[in-house]
Formats: sequence, structure tokens, C-alpha cells
Amino acid sequence: MTLPPLIAFRQVSKFYGRGEATIRALDRVDLSISAGEFVSIMGPSGSGKSTAMNIIGGLDVPSSGEYLFQGIPTSGFDRAQLTLLRRHMLGFVFQGFNLLARTSAVENVELPLVYRGMDHRERRKRALIALEQVGLKGREGHTTQELSGGQQQRVAIARAIVTDPAVLLADEPTGNLDTKTSIEIMELITRLNRENGITVIMVTHEEDIAAYGRRLLRFVDGRLSADQSQIREPDHVS
Amino acid sequence: MFLETAKLAWRAIRRNILRSFLTVLGVVIGVAAVIAMVTVGNGTTARVQSELSRLGTNTLFVRPGQFGPGRASTEAKRFNDKDILAIQEQVPGLRAVAPMNRGTATVIAGGANHSSSVIGTTNDYLVAQDWDLSLGRNFLPNEDRGSQAACIIGETVRKELFGSANPVGQNIRVSNVACPVVGVLAVKGQSGLGDDQDDTVIMPLKLHQRRIGGTTTIGSIILSAQDGVATSKVQSDVEDLLRERRRIAIGREDDFSVNDMSQIAAAMTGTTVLLTGLLGAVAAVSLLVGGIGIMNIMLVSVTERTREIGIRLAIGALERQVLTQFLVEAVMLSIFGGVTGIVTGLLLAFGVVNFLGVPFVASPTIILLAFAFSAAIGMVFGYFPARRAAQLNPIEALRHE
Repeated sequence: MTLPPLIAFRQVSKFYGRGEATIRALDRVDLSISAGEFVSIMGPSGSGKSTAMNIIGGLDVPSSGEYLFQGIPTSGFDRAQLTLLRRHMLGFVFQGFNLLARTSAVENVELPLVYRGMDHRERRKRALIALEQVGLKGREGHTTQELSGGQQQRVAIARAIVTDPAVLLADEPTGNLDTKTSIEIMELITRLNRENGITVIMVTHEEDIAAYGRRLLRFVDGRLSADQSQIREPDHVS
Repeated sequence: MFLETAKLAWRAIRRNILRSFLTVLGVVIGVAAVIAMVTVGNGTTARVQSELSRLGTNTLFVRPGQFGPGRASTEAKRFNDKDILAIQEQVPGLRAVAPMNRGTATVIAGGANHSSSVIGTTNDYLVAQDWDLSLGRNFLPNEDRGSQAACIIGETVRKELFGSANPVGQNIRVSNVACPVVGVLAVKGQSGLGDDQDDTVIMPLKLHQRRIGGTTTIGSIILSAQDGVATSKVQSDVEDLLRERRRIAIGREDDFSVNDMSQIAAAMTGTTVLLTGLLGAVAAVSLLVGGIGIMNIMLVSVTERTREIGIRLAIGALERQVLTQFLVEAVMLSIFGGVTGIVTGLLLAFGVVNFLGVPFVASPTIILLAFAFSAAIGMVFGYFPARRAAQLNPIEALRHE
């Protein structure tokens, strides 16, 4: 018996608006992602890549079709159930970092654990481990404003992985960073994928960033136009 | 978990401490107003009460004729010296028995003249009224017997006739009776009924009877019961004695009355209590306005922190958790405002009370009530913004700039 794919779309469509003004953001998309993959998603603006990402992240629901997580259909999920899916299975990294302002790095990382009701000492311990994993040991007490963009994104990654999620969802994680910092962040994400076995799904519009993924999905006009495996030279990854 | 939420809320408040303070200013002012009003009101009530009790609740007024609602005074025999003696000797538990004849007369000293109330009585009058002297002395026995003229004057009379000079030893003329001033009464101020108690001249009863009243009878008697003696007991003793002395047949009505002040005191207290309640109600309206202020700022805060709420929702905060967080924040804010208001109100009341010269009577009930009310305001006015925050769409919230 084979395990069901971690993430599966069956004829998923998403419409916005109604009547003449209806926008078809996703058009009957079939998709399957297995545990441990590193998937890059590309496509021009309005191609549906962000919508697909939001549906995978449980932030949005399909208008029709079915989204299955670990083989379980999510169409019957209410808001609270989607929240619990995010809380226990998913970690988010955003383009704009989305850290809490005027809050220290370690407190930002602790936040998802707070909502899990974990006690203070355990929380602090795990947050410090996660910060160490992303290379921010020694900067735990710095507030958001005191960190560079790259460091902020590392805090955001630490916050995403502190809960040991099955999937790391990264939406333009290097969009606000310069080239050198972008490479550092991508290497960190790649390492988390290889060493920790976290499934990574990343949206980007930069080819060289997308190249870090081992599988590339291209969206055009709400449809999946290409799905290809790619091999990256190992020496690119430190 | 609750402690965590409280900590989160406290952090959010502290992050924007100035705005948080301005937010709760309405509640601070509302609570302070309620506390100050009620405390000052209570102080005034207490002062009226103590003043009336000095008059007082253990004081009885004996007058000829019947007084009371719907009853006119009938022609009745006045009292005499023997009545006074009989009461002194036969009624137990009395501290003072003061006969009193009262009139109005022009008082002259040097070139100044002043119209004042003139009371003929004995030293017991000052005992019954708890009235001290600020200068000079009481009447001497020979003065009490009327063989020597003497006057004690109130502060207002002193000011009118002597200015700031010491009047003791000076001569005044009261309705053409020459009379040396032997003492000055301590300032008493306005009575609970609003008249100037310091505008008075006291002289021995005998002198008053002979030279001013032209009579040998006594108009009224003031009795003061000893502490711990029930005035009702004294009242019935005096009534029995006087009925006997005035030979009133059984079954016939008294031709005199013995009144105590407690009923008047109750009426006066009732008025100030009502007034306090009304002022408190007005202040409570301002509390409501303060609550609306909190709701307004909390709504602004929700809009401003849309992104933050989006982050929290995205990383796994349940609607209920976001709702609780904002609700706790609102309640914390308003409790903070309530406590600040209570302290401010008490300080304010303390100042006003000192200025008015009334006692400081802080009411624990109203303080607790104000506290509970401010917490409730946070709950009620925080709920709507909190629910709005919890129901935000995380995608849109994250996109919010």
C-alpha cells in the first residue's frame, strides 16, 4: 500500500467576482506533491500561482474541485479546522517577512508555540534551537528593527520551522533581499529540505531562485503549463 | 494560557503607551468624576449629620404649645425657673438643661451698631450646643444670677463691632443695656439650615428677662442627654414631669412639646444622599462616553494592526484566541483606566473636601463598583472590535499595508 501524496489538487478551480467580471484564478488544476519534495512555482502576475499557494496553505478554499492534505479532503473544513491544519502541518515564510514589530527575535519565533499552549520554558528552548538552526545564535534578543532584511527573513524561517511542520510554504522569500542575501536564504531553505526532510513549496518569479527547487511548476492563466524535474549541481549547495 | 494572553495584551498596550493612555482618558475622567462626586457628597452628608447631631440628635427642644404638621401653636403657659429646677433634679441622664429666651436686638459698641440675635440663657447652653469659647470665659455665678451684667458674643458680632481688636473687657450696649464682653464664641459657621450661627449675643437669662424681655418666664428649654442615654427615655421622662407640673389631666393633650432633632436629621441626610446619587448618575454618563472612546480607538487599533492579526491567523491562531487577545487588551486598558480614575478621583475628592472643610469619607462600595463597571466597559466596548479582528480574512490581512 502506497502512502497518499502529501498534497493533491483534483480539478481545483478558483473564481473571484461574479457574472461578467468573474476572474478565473485557477482553472481545473490537477497537482500532486509528495513528502520531502522541494517545489518551485513560477508564473507571471495573475497566473494563479499565489492562489494555488493560498489554497495549499489553507488560507483560501477552492471554488470547485478538491484539495487533499495527506489524502484527506479539506472541502468540509471550517475556519477553525483550516487554522489547525496551518498550526500543526504548515510553516509560512513571506516576502515581507511579516514579523511582529518591536518584538524580539525569540518572541517572534515563540509565537506559533504560544497558540499551541506550550509552556513558557519549553517554548523558549525550542525557539532558541530554531534560531540556532537558521544561524542567528547571539541575536535572540534583537527586536525586528535591529535586524537586517536577511536576518529578519531568517527569524521568519525559524518561526516557520519551530513547530516542526510537514511543509514549508515560502511566498517570494527573497523578493525583498539583495542577491548575496538571497543566496544565503536559499541555501538555508535547501539545507532544511535536505537535512530536516521538510517539504518546501516556494513561489518566485526569479529563474535563478526557482532553480534551487528540484521540481518546477509553471502557471499560466490559471493552468499548470509545465511540470518538470530539475537537477541542480551539488556544488551550488554548500 | 490566560496568563499568556494577558502578557500579549500587556505587551501590545506597552508598545503604544501614549495612545493607550489617551484611549482610556475617557474612562479615567469618568471614574474620577464618579469617585470624586460621591466621595465629596458623602463627606457633605457626614458633615450635615455631625452638625445636626451637635445640635444634635441627643438634644431635645422643649417649647410651650404644640408644634407639628398641620397644627398651629396654641396659647400655652411658658416655663419658669421651677420647671428648670425640677427637670435638673428629677430627670436622670441629662448633661445640660439650658433655659432660653431669644430675641433680636441692636447691639452698639463705640460708633458701630449691628442687629443680632440675643439669647438669654445659662452656661449650660454652651454645654448643650458643644460650643467652645475662642476668647475670654463663661459666665461667673454672680453673673448667672443676674447681679452683674456680662455678654458673650459670636464671631460675626465681634467683626462688625470691633474689627480685629480684642473685645474682651470692652462694653457693648444691647438694647440700651450696658454689658461688658467677657468672652467670644468659637467660630461655628453656617448651620445645617443655612443661617449664620456666629451672629449672636449671649447674656445671662436673668439679665435678659429683666432688661430686655421684661418677663420672669422662660420661652424654651434645651436639654442635652448624656452619651449612651436614649433620648426617647429622656423625652418621655420630661413629658411626664411637665404634664404633672402643668396639671394636665389624663387623656388631654400636652400643651407643650418635646422634640428631638433626629427626624430633621434624617430628612436633611436624605436630601444630600439624593443629591449625591444624582451627581453620581451624571458622572456615570461620562463613563459611558469613555467606553465609546475605548471602542473607537480599539477599532482604529484593529485596522492599524490588520497585518499583525493576519500573521497571527496565518501561523495558527484560532479566531477565539484572537478574540480573547483583543478582549483582554480592552479589559486591561479599561481596568487600567478605572484604577487610574479611582486614584485620581480620590485625590481630587481629598482636595475638594479639604477646601470645603468636610470630612473625607471614601466609600468602598462605590470604588468597587467603579472598578467593576470599568472592567465591564472594556468587555462590552471591546467585544465588537475584537470580533472584527478575529473574523479578518488572513490573506487580505497579510496584504494590508
